[in-house]
Amino acid sequence: MKALARVALVAGRELRAERRQPDGIVAAVTFIAVLVLLESLVVGPAVARDADIAPALFWLALAFAAILATMRSFDRELEDDALEALVALPGGRDALFGGKVSALWLILAIVALIGGLLSLVLLDLPVSLPGHLLILVALGVIALPPVIVVDVVLTLRLRARAALVPILALPVLVPQLVAATRGATAAMSGDGVGALSWAGLLFAFAVVYGVLGLTIVPAAVE
Amino acid sequence: MIETTFPRGTVLRIRPWLGIAAAATFVVASVMALLWAPTDAVQGDVYRILYVHVPLAWLSYLAFVIVFLASVGWLWSKRPVFDAIAVASAEIGVLFTGLFIVAGSIWAKPTWGVWWTWEPRLVTTSIMFVMYVGYLLLRSLSTDFSRRATRAAVFGIIAVIDVPIVHLSVLWANSLHQLPTVLRVSGGPALDSSMLLTLMVSLGAYTLVYAYFLSARISLELARQERMWTRT
Amino acid sequence: MIDDRRILSGVNIDVGPGLTLVRGPNGAGKTTLLRALAGLIPITLGQREVSGEMLFIGQRPMLLRGLTARENLSFYSRFRGRTADVDAALAAWGLPATEFDRPVERLSAGERRRASLARLDTEALPLVLLDEPFTELDEGAAAKLRAAIARVVHDGRTAVVATHGHAELDASAHATIVLDRGARVS
Repeated sequence: MKALARVALVAGRELRAERRQPDGIVAAVTFIAVLVLLESLVVGPAVARDADIAPALFWLALAFAAILATMRSFDRELEDDALEALVALPGGRDALFGGKVSALWLILAIVALIGGLLSLVLLDLPVSLPGHLLILVALGVIALPPVIVVDVVLTLRLRARAALVPILALPVLVPQLVAATRGATAAMSGDGVGALSWAGLLFAFAVVYGVLGLTIVPAAVE
Repeated sequence: MIETTFPRGTVLRIRPWLGIAAAATFVVASVMALLWAPTDAVQGDVYRILYVHVPLAWLSYLAFVIVFLASVGWLWSKRPVFDAIAVASAEIGVLFTGLFIVAGSIWAKPTWGVWWTWEPRLVTTSIMFVMYVGYLLLRSLSTDFSRRATRAAVFGIIAVIDVPIVHLSVLWANSLHQLPTVLRVSGGPALDSSMLLTLMVSLGAYTLVYAYFLSARISLELARQERMWTRT
Repeated sequence: MIDDRRILSGVNIDVGPGLTLVRGPNGAGKTTLLRALAGLIPITLGQREVSGEMLFIGQRPMLLRGLTARENLSFYSRFRGRTADVDAALAAWGLPATEFDRPVERLSAGERRRASLARLDTEALPLVLLDEPFTELDEGAAAKLRAAIARVVHDGRTAVVATHGHAELDASAHATIVLDRGARVS
């Protein structure tokens, strides 16, 4: 069986479980919605619309939402030791990272879409280049999960893991968050070239951490 | 009983000498830095903190590169000695990075007028600091040897790869998005030859101190490991 | 080595075709030995060599919650690139057809256990590792499990079963490993 087909099987298994028990996605969407609401209350509606502020809060919220969804996904694996059965399968160790990351892409895309629409509507955000913004958000969604999945795998079964994952993941995610925020700001304020170059950078980050995860995660799952 | 393939006898014989050498160079470097090196024309005596600041910066990067190499070594060979090197270097690295940030802060106050600024190098260093505090936290929460070593090694590798990327992204963000540039360092001050010599001696002294700490911490860790293997 | 404590030491085992029983009191290291054989925990000092594909069923059912019994089992066999009659296997282990499509978290503990053991049929592999497989089984299901183990032995495959009860297995065992406090006693 081809490695890619195995990855697809793991992703399919994940998405099917998530569809039937959508804890991860519900937690993530609720989190981002609450944050968007709070944002306009805390900083005031005028500031919340600022092309510098809104994207920054959106991406921070999305990173946290992704951490929530990933932790939930692995919690489900740990109940009844399902993860061990997967890892004990031939090729299971290698398919784990790819499968989880690709399932998370889809889940995070839904969360980003809902969170993004909410921000646009509630905050009445001015967007001068919607197409560029869409590309940028898509690449941001692709760039976040690899790092997060690695960090969640590293903290499996540890005490205080809910605190440890953000501590490990967020500093490593700084480049992704900077690029996604600057890119979104550029797209909102009409700087097409800027938005696309940040989007390109996000793609590069996704490749770097994707390759890193594929090579290193099998060693970390025991 | 466990083969560590580490020449412990040699280390034990060398370490006292390493300690003496480190202490001696440190004294020489301090005297040179405080008394011999000339006062800076622009900054006055404040600049002398450079002789602490620069070596600390160099060592914090060196320490983390050693963590990276030891991590690769562990994943590659699973020899416990690599894990001992990684944890030793990471702890010293966190200490030196912390001191580096403090020294930088003390220097920044009289020269730039603030304790802290969002200058790219400072931001990178502080993110690196947080990452390695996370690294040590991950180690302290993991409860068994192989797992702890492997997980820490994976994070150690990711962190080192991330540091330059963080630096570049912060740099680019600032160039595309103008921050107040008053605080930017305008290239290092030109050093005259006696200042350069003092800096080199300081670098040597701190490197020896690092090597001494490292070897002491490694043998502590190896002793701890040995206790662990023999305990039932 | 778990929690920096030595769980097993100086244990050398060589398992060939037939039934190998792993016995010993609670805390002797049976589970650790099986998990080490399955490659699920790192062996700090020592090594494992396995020829052939292996099926490991642990103390817990190892089924992903949110998926049905049928989805779980067909995932495992498809992942191995095999085709298997999942429905027949589940039925053979006494799971009512109405339960095939319910998420596993809504099955009873005994049903989950049986669904998990049905993997013995859907993944009939050369090496089978079972950790306390009799827990939560009623007498009928226990008889089925004994028959399934006998089938593995009859096919010339290898079964390693860790359990502290079930003396009736001793008669058919080709080898017995007795562990006590992390060491092999016999």
